[in-house]
Amino acid sequence: MLLPRFEYHQPASLDEAVEVLGQYAGEAAVLAGGTDLLVNMKHQAMAPSHLVSLAGVEGLDQASADGGRVTVGPLMSAAVLAQSEFIAANAGALALGAAVLGSPQVRTRATVGGNVCNARPAADMSVPLLALGARAVLTGPDGQRQVDLEEFFVGPGQTVRAPGELLSALEMDAPAPGTGWGYQKLGLRKALEISLVNVAAALSLEDDGKTIKAARVALGAVAPTPILAPGAAEVLVGQAAGGDVFKAAGQKAAADAKPIDDHRGSAWYRREMVAVLTARALNQAWARAQGQ
Amino acid sequence: MEKIRIELTVNGKQHDLLVAPNRTLAQTLREDLRLTGTKQGCEVGDCGSCTVLLDDVPVNSCLVLAVQAAGRRVTTIEGLAQGNELHPIQEAMIQHGAIQCGFCTPGMILSAKALLDRNPDPDAGEIKDALSGNLCRCTGYQKIVEAVQDAAAKMGRD
Ligand SMILES: Cc1cc2nc3c(=O)[nH]c(=O)nc-3n(C[C@H](O)[C@H](O)[C@H](O)COP(=O)(O)OP(=O)(O)OC[C@H]3O[C@@H](n4cnc5c(N)ncnc54)[C@H](O)[C@@H]3O)c2cc1C
Ligand code: FES
Ligand code: FES
Repeated sequence: MLLPRFEYHQPASLDEAVEVLGQYAGEAAVLAGGTDLLVNMKHQAMAPSHLVSLAGVEGLDQASADGGRVTVGPLMSAAVLAQSEFIAANAGALALGAAVLGSPQVRTRATVGGNVCNARPAADMSVPLLALGARAVLTGPDGQRQVDLEEFFVGPGQTVRAPGELLSALEMDAPAPGTGWGYQKLGLRKALEISLVNVAAALSLEDDGKTIKAARVALGAVAPTPILAPGAAEVLVGQAAGGDVFKAAGQKAAADAKPIDDHRGSAWYRREMVAVLTARALNQAWARAQGQ
Repeated sequence: MEKIRIELTVNGKQHDLLVAPNRTLAQTLREDLRLTGTKQGCEVGDCGSCTVLLDDVPVNSCLVLAVQAAGRRVTTIEGLAQGNELHPIQEAMIQHGAIQCGFCTPGMILSAKALLDRNPDPDAGEIKDALSGNLCRCTGYQKIVEAVQDAAAKMGRD
């Protein structure tokens, strides 16, 4: 399987990258890890005549915290995110999702920016980011703008990113004390598997260590994009954390899901699994929120 | 399509190459450098037979452009033996009958090497995780896992 022909660009700064992208508008694609793009090009689903690699732009592979805000660089790989203590402490759901993406070889290359821009409904880093309340920072010829991830995804493979824009960062609020995360992925096998259903949860407890202060549940593979389950969050807030309320949240999440039948599983089964996996993800988040 | 000059250190040896941008690292290793120990199966990241180490971590070389590897260190299966002496993982794979057709073997061994270099005493679960991106259509994996366990034990003793 040969790759189609293209010219290769490796700009040395974000400004230069935006400039090159603008110069070949419509014919250029951004290259991060290439685990989606190169596969699509080999399958001849895409044939951009220019590839703009981000590898030469400094700082895009770093994470940082500053004044209550956590920034994750789009070029951070799943392997790095899965092992980073900083990510585990500040955006734990992302570390959990990154750890179960693809295979070790894919995780080495697969970047979080590519996962988000590729906009697959089951994406293992996008679903956690949605639960984390992340915002996409887009840099284009007219400067920067921020888009909540909920609004960023439009459909399978579709986002609000303009062709001349780069995803230059992912940002989120720093976690409140007493916050924990859970991530549950159900596939037909353990490795190298796109989820049948995946669920990410973020849970923050009040100072009493019991009452739920805030909750976000995100679902993958049950709608054209990763989605939030607002119904689940609603039944959780203000309640004492525990099995019963998590089960109720699971039922609400199943109602929020809009699954379809396909060759990998039926809509009915997916909905049932949303309920089960949501309760599990919340339990996992609860244990971590209590510091276990 | 403008060719690009890159430097690539493969198995400790530096190469100066002129590559087309659409050439994968797997193609460059196999066709330009004639290192055909790296196999190509699916060519889209699913099977792991093209696994090489890029700066000591495993990648599918079918999904890395040669230009993306510029300036970096590549280890292929050809780089493991010391003269006539096989690497302990290679030795153990033979001893345990963990090789049948052999197509998956180079990739399997490189994934195992990356694991053992980082974690000299892995349990069976850790070995299976590390090899989860390498498919074998012949052996059923059990003998491969045993071979890696054995190699780890032998390497620990040396
Ligand atoms: C064998 C295999 C198994 C896989 N398994 C999984 C899995 O289990 N779960 C999962 O979620 N995914 C999986 N994937 C898909 C893929 O690995 C991930 O989506 C990965 O995160 C993509 O990142 P990348 O850096 O490789 O993206 P690339 O392929 O480089 O880019 C993907 C898309 O995003 C665009 N893009 C990338 N970065 C930016 C940016 N900063 N700004 C603007 N546009 C950008 C590119 O132009 C391209 O359209 C798998 C892929 C393979 C080959
Ligand atoms: S040939 Fe590269 S993963 Fe199959
Ligand atoms: S020995 Fe034949 S594929 Fe593994």
